[in-house]
Amino acid sequence: MKTLGKMKYALAFLFVLLAANFLVAQKVREGSAPDGMKNVPNGDGSAAAVAAGPTGQAVVTGNGINYNGGPVLKGTVPIYIIWYGNWNGTGSNTAATRTIIETLIGGLSNSGYEKINSTYGDATGNVSGAMTLVKEVFDSGSQGTRLRNSRISSAISAQLTSGNLPTDASGVYLFLTSSDVKESGFCTQFCGFHTRQTLNGADIKWAFIGNVDQCPSGCEAQTTGPNSTAGSGGGADGMANVIAHETEEAISDPDLNAWFDSSGQENADKCNFRFGTTSTAANGSHFNQTLGGLNFLLQMNWENSRGGGCDQTLGGTFQ
Amino acid sequence: MPSYFRGSLLSALIAVTIFATAQEPVKPKLNPRIITATRQVTIFSNLEIQLLEAVRKKDKAGLQAMLTDDFAIDMPNADRLPGDDWLDSVMAKDYILKNFGVRQMSVADLGNAAVVKFDRPQEATHKGIADSGDFFVVDLWKKDGDTWKLANRYVSKVSSVVPKGPSKPTGKE
Repeated sequence: MKTLGKMKYALAFLFVLLAANFLVAQKVREGSAPDGMKNVPNGDGSAAAVAAGPTGQAVVTGNGINYNGGPVLKGTVPIYIIWYGNWNGTGSNTAATRTIIETLIGGLSNSGYEKINSTYGDATGNVSGAMTLVKEVFDSGSQGTRLRNSRISSAISAQLTSGNLPTDASGVYLFLTSSDVKESGFCTQFCGFHTRQTLNGADIKWAFIGNVDQCPSGCEAQTTGPNSTAGSGGGADGMANVIAHETEEAISDPDLNAWFDSSGQENADKCNFRFGTTSTAANGSHFNQTLGGLNFLLQMNWENSRGGGCDQTLGGTFQ
Repeated sequence: MPSYFRGSLLSALIAVTIFATAQEPVKPKLNPRIITATRQVTIFSNLEIQLLEAVRKKDKAGLQAMLTDDFAIDMPNADRLPGDDWLDSVMAKDYILKNFGVRQMSVADLGNAAVVKFDRPQEATHKGIADSGDFFVVDLWKKDGDTWKLANRYVSKVSSVVPKGPSKPTGKE
């Protein structure tokens, strides 16, 4: 009887241990954020913890997208480009693509299209709609041709610590890869993404955009774009569209805690691959923006005013 | 049984049980990043939501129109479930799908077919008993003229706990 009693205590102890273990495991599964942090969407329905932003400021809401308390990038936003891989190759991996993207960045600044982003703000002001391409660097493949997040951040970090690029928390770093470079999830899940990380001691906002000639059906609106030349593919035009998307989001939601809706969609996500009315270029392709003297087919962006909607220019027709 | 042996056995049992229940598959960390979904992810997200809405609303005709004639479901440790049987089960009055999500989708575009993988949290009841949880789904969609039809599904329950996350959009958030 004495032994049976001991066994009862042992079983009760085992039950308590198992229950505690179960509860701890559930907490991990729920992904609860530590103190001072908050869960933010990853854009794919999942969530991750980031530092919580300030809350309670007066900003314009009620237009189909929510303000979640974090900062936006104000003033003229510096843009830095890291051309990763072989950009002296063939197809769209050439200097011609680089010129098209440089023209795009210059043309976007203060355009009616980019001014849609000026409907987003934080406690201290709104996005200006201005940006400037400050510096470009090349990395022929320091992290190999099979990338993942950690390798991209290592490559960007190396540019900052070496001083090749300034460490600028107010800027956006575009990491653009040639079509021979693979990134896990690129073309099957995404055409690009943006994020933030502490690199070289600063809160660095960076975006990955691959050469979409790897998957025209997944990431290009049209295989021949308005700037495509014979045999070049639509990579430059396709990348231009994704770059426009990522820069809009990296500016209006730089720390992933400012502007997104209840399903986790940021402004450009809400209009992904929606172009509105288009014109036809001489080569038969479609375009809806003329920036820096070049035609582009860029997705619309979500305007945070007039009830909210996708349009091609600030104050334009919602489509 | 000698008491020292009983003690050792009990300790071993406790250790093994704790070890077994505490194990989680080793998986890469989810990076906080916001993606630009591919065109296929956009298309098939909409189709999967349309399909789940048909289940939720008991729209048998709408659901049937999205399936191939030989649609079937595979699950671990179970016989293949024919499409008609599945239709009957989800259309039954005692099956109630309350909420659902479609997350972390990837699509392999194979031309006239597409392999779609995603995570599906759901809240549901069957005969009054909770049938909620997080499911991993692999769907094979086939092109049928201008439309896509679901030909085969593999589904496995990952957890009985519905993970927290962004709720369904209403369009007026």
